[in-house]
Amino acid sequence: MIVSFTWVLVGALILALLTIFLWSARNKQKKPVPRHVPIAAREEYAEELAIPVIFPPQPAAKPEMPVIPWNYGKDRITLMVRDPNWIFAYWEISAAKQQEFSNQYGHNAWNNSRSVLRVYDVTGVEDFNGTNANDFTDISIHEHVDSWHIDVARPNSSFCVDLGRLFPDGTFITLLRSNIVKTPSMDVSNLFDEEWMWIEGIYRTLNQMYLGSSPAVSKEFGRDMGLIPVNVSSPGLGNRKN
Amino acid sequence: MGKGYLCFVLHAHLPFVRHPEDENFLEERWLYEAITETYIPLIDAFDELVEENIPFRLTISLSPPLITMLTDGLLQERYLRHLNKLIELAEKETVRTRDTVFHPTAVMYRDRLYRIRYLFAEKYHRNLVSAFKKLQDCGRLEVITCAGTHGFLPLLIHQPEAVRAQVGAAVDLYANHFGHKPLGLWLPECAYTYGVDNILKEFDIKYFFTDTHGVLYASHRPKYGIYAPIFCRTGVAVFGRDIESSKQVWSSNEGYPGDYDYREYYRDIGHDLEYGYIAPYIHPDGIRVNTGIKYFRVTGKDCEKQPYCRENALSKADIHAGNFLFNREHQIAHLNSLMDREPIIVAPYDAELFGHWWFEGPDWLKQVLRKAHYDFPGIETITPHDYLKKYPCNQVATPCPSTWGNNGYNEVWLCRENDWIYRHLHIMAEKMTELVDANTYPGGLKQRAIKQAARELLLAQSSDWAFIMYTGTMVEYAIRRTKQHVQNFLRLYDQIKNNNIDEGFLGHLEYRNNIFPDININYYQSAPGQVYSATG
Repeated sequence: MIVSFTWVLVGALILALLTIFLWSARNKQKKPVPRHVPIAAREEYAEELAIPVIFPPQPAAKPEMPVIPWNYGKDRITLMVRDPNWIFAYWEISAAKQQEFSNQYGHNAWNNSRSVLRVYDVTGVEDFNGTNANDFTDISIHEHVDSWHIDVARPNSSFCVDLGRLFPDGTFITLLRSNIVKTPSMDVSNLFDEEWMWIEGIYRTLNQMYLGSSPAVSKEFGRDMGLIPVNVSSPGLGNRKN
Repeated sequence: MGKGYLCFVLHAHLPFVRHPEDENFLEERWLYEAITETYIPLIDAFDELVEENIPFRLTISLSPPLITMLTDGLLQERYLRHLNKLIELAEKETVRTRDTVFHPTAVMYRDRLYRIRYLFAEKYHRNLVSAFKKLQDCGRLEVITCAGTHGFLPLLIHQPEAVRAQVGAAVDLYANHFGHKPLGLWLPECAYTYGVDNILKEFDIKYFFTDTHGVLYASHRPKYGIYAPIFCRTGVAVFGRDIESSKQVWSSNEGYPGDYDYREYYRDIGHDLEYGYIAPYIHPDGIRVNTGIKYFRVTGKDCEKQPYCRENALSKADIHAGNFLFNREHQIAHLNSLMDREPIIVAPYDAELFGHWWFEGPDWLKQVLRKAHYDFPGIETITPHDYLKKYPCNQVATPCPSTWGNNGYNEVWLCRENDWIYRHLHIMAEKMTELVDANTYPGGLKQRAIKQAARELLLAQSSDWAFIMYTGTMVEYAIRRTKQHVQNFLRLYDQIKNNNIDEGFLGHLEYRNNIFPDININYYQSAPGQVYSATG
């Protein structure tokens, strides 16, 4: 008797939990959630009109999310600029490329080396060839990672990235080389020389005039630098497309 | 006292949200709301000023997706249906609120919606683009456009063909609607980087805009800061956004739109009222949406919202218009003491800020333009092209890569939430060039398929998807749209390569994603040696 009563109790408990769970799951589906819960208005109008409560229908099931490939069977590494301090690279290495590496350096070479991103500073370097960078930094990359946000912390500088294998003896073999990108400046330019362009009617370049610089005016603008908002986004930015 | 120029720029854009497959597609409402709350009120305000013979000048950028949607018969029909529904609700509201403090506002909405329907259906014959064109033709607006689908150009530029197609498609679409090429181009998100101006130059674009630091951090240092344009080496002019005038309007804390007398955006009856009452006017699936009918004013922070009073709000808009011009007058006087030419103050805003977000925005703008004419002889409104005609000699400098997004660079469109999209967008652009190079004179079905592939690529490149993923609201839609266009593109690519184009599938995509009907696929032709150097 006691045993069966316990079972009933457990069953009821499970049922209650299930109800709570389903109820909360159902509530989660109601989108979008209003940003401000409009309590005052609801009270005011609802009482005045006393409309019978109707529950909203369940949202129709959405079609399945389209499936797209992740890799395209192409060896590539692309470098992009995020801001003056950060750049981003993504890459893809085909099985053929890996095989080619093993053929050239031995079939254990892949396992005996580790994946490394070599970030070259190539500011001012013409025709970067892998050996003439100003300096470089290595970042160890997990085998299955295929993109990286890189903290270069160097505004106004140019970068190139190699994805390669680093052997214990320090030998670095490049697998992929990226495009070159330049981080933007974070400050006013220190170059004061002025070059002027006269464009007639408008924009056929006729000649270029070189005038003397006018530091007085430039300094005036320089003084206003503190006014530049760090956050330049618009107030409606988070909302305007809702 | 010296004179100065005020250059208003409104950028109007919505992503391409045309969904013929569904009668009640949620995201299509973005367009309907913007038409009711922003585009028609702005046109109406400009028309009023024209009738008063006020010689204002203002620049407005209409994005190609917006031009396409505003001239699309299906969407025009659906908008009218939406508007009729809204009028029905507004009528009900005047009854429901009778003898309450909300009644005058309800009447205001009803009258306003009737007027909007008259303007849309009768005065402009459903075509708002032609209304903008008329304002351009009568010398008041300088209408420009932005890149094709609002693609974020700095993250595409290492493939110049992709950027060329974004710009070329936009220029062609604009020319179709306005009868000539655009003089300027709005860079989506104000996003500039090295090489972008080279492509603008190819299309004879005279000018573009950057955020403040795009010009202020240019190299060499611009003599006049942001108060005169600079020329890129290509000869394309760059106008930098003014900080002060931007902040007064943009800033959610100290800006005008946060004034306590203005209408509160977040208190919409679509969210507030009893479900049974509002159900016919929200999404049929029961998803609560904004109706545009809102009865409260901003009131204050963390306090009970008070009823909206239209008269008080309008008189505040009038005061703020005067205040804005008063500040510009002082700014210009100060600049004149430093500069040996008349300064230009460039004030760009998202058009949807006016009316949609800041309900009284169009009234404020109308008052600014009116007062500038009557009360402020030292301030003249101007467009970038007019200023360049006046001052054709400008300093040469390379703008600093920049955007008007959070923190001023690319982090909004390249962050952990959206960085995955670029591996797809880039390979698509590469495959697109491959298709065009391999099929120099494609005919019939193949040509149609290549054109549709280009449309799918362009739609996938829309910066809105990355932006939405970053903000974290409506993310699923943005992911779905991105993946759908990638998938459509890849299927077309395979079919074209294998010479087995599925005409049914192609026809379906042409029907659904019908932007850029005359797209010129030659923009994707590979142009060797045109990789723009980023080594500076």
